[in-house]
Amino acid sequence: MDLSARLRQGNLLPFVGIGVVAGLFAAMFGIGGGVVIVPLLMLVARMPPRMAAATSLAALILTSLIGVVRYAGTGHVDWIAAILIGIPAVVGVLIGIRFQRRLPAEWLVLGFGVLVIAIGLRLVIWG
Amino acid sequence: MEHGPEILALAGLAGVAAGILAGLFGVGGGIVFVPTLVFLFAFDQLDAQATSLAAIIPVALIGAWRQSGDGQIDWRAAVLMGGGAAVGVLVGAEVALRLDEATLSRVFGAILILVGGEMIVSSVRKLQAKRATPAPADGPRRP
Repeated sequence: MDLSARLRQGNLLPFVGIGVVAGLFAAMFGIGGGVVIVPLLMLVARMPPRMAAATSLAALILTSLIGVVRYAGTGHVDWIAAILIGIPAVVGVLIGIRFQRRLPAEWLVLGFGVLVIAIGLRLVIWG
Repeated sequence: MEHGPEILALAGLAGVAAGILAGLFGVGGGIVFVPTLVFLFAFDQLDAQATSLAAIIPVALIGAWRQSGDGQIDWRAAVLMGGGAAVGVLVGAEVALRLDEATLSRVFGAILILVGGEMIVSSVRKLQAKRATPAPADGPRRP
């Protein structure tokens, strides 16, 4: 936990910066912020992979809430559809975290690399 | 919404898959939610993105709660990033209106491919180093 302590003592501005960059890309390319947040937490804040993924999820509580508040009332949010896919996804997230506990950090980064490349290819091919 | 049971079952499966990605990698699940809503329920892009955000809320809440129990979350970093992202979204929406989005997407996609490639190379190297030195306690450390 000394790393976490070091982060707390250190400059907190990089985190705001990572958030701004993630929000910028999310709005510009319609991708979720997590794809930007996780690599930046590992590279800039030197967070271990698992902590980066977990902290990204925590940041997404705020970003998704803000996003929904912005859209709510515009008629673009279909709550029934959100529940239909969101509730199974809650089951999925518990499964995913269970996997993650057993997965060595290197394999986690490897898997994330594959995911990031897939998203990158999608953007390059379909614009 | 009136949909057959097979469509609902597919949506449920896609939801579980999105959640697994979210739990493993700390992404929200939108990469699965948005195409699922577009292809299964014929949503347009904006409806799909807005609804996907709503679906992410319970995933992020429960996932963060579970990870927090494992002591894996730096909450201060999370709140600062969430606040920063709110600013970034406002700026990004402005920028997106003024620039050629297709070109931007390709540039950003290329950056992601490089980042992903770097992650794969570095993790494979670490795995090889681990295999080469079976006793990590006193084995030589690679940068």
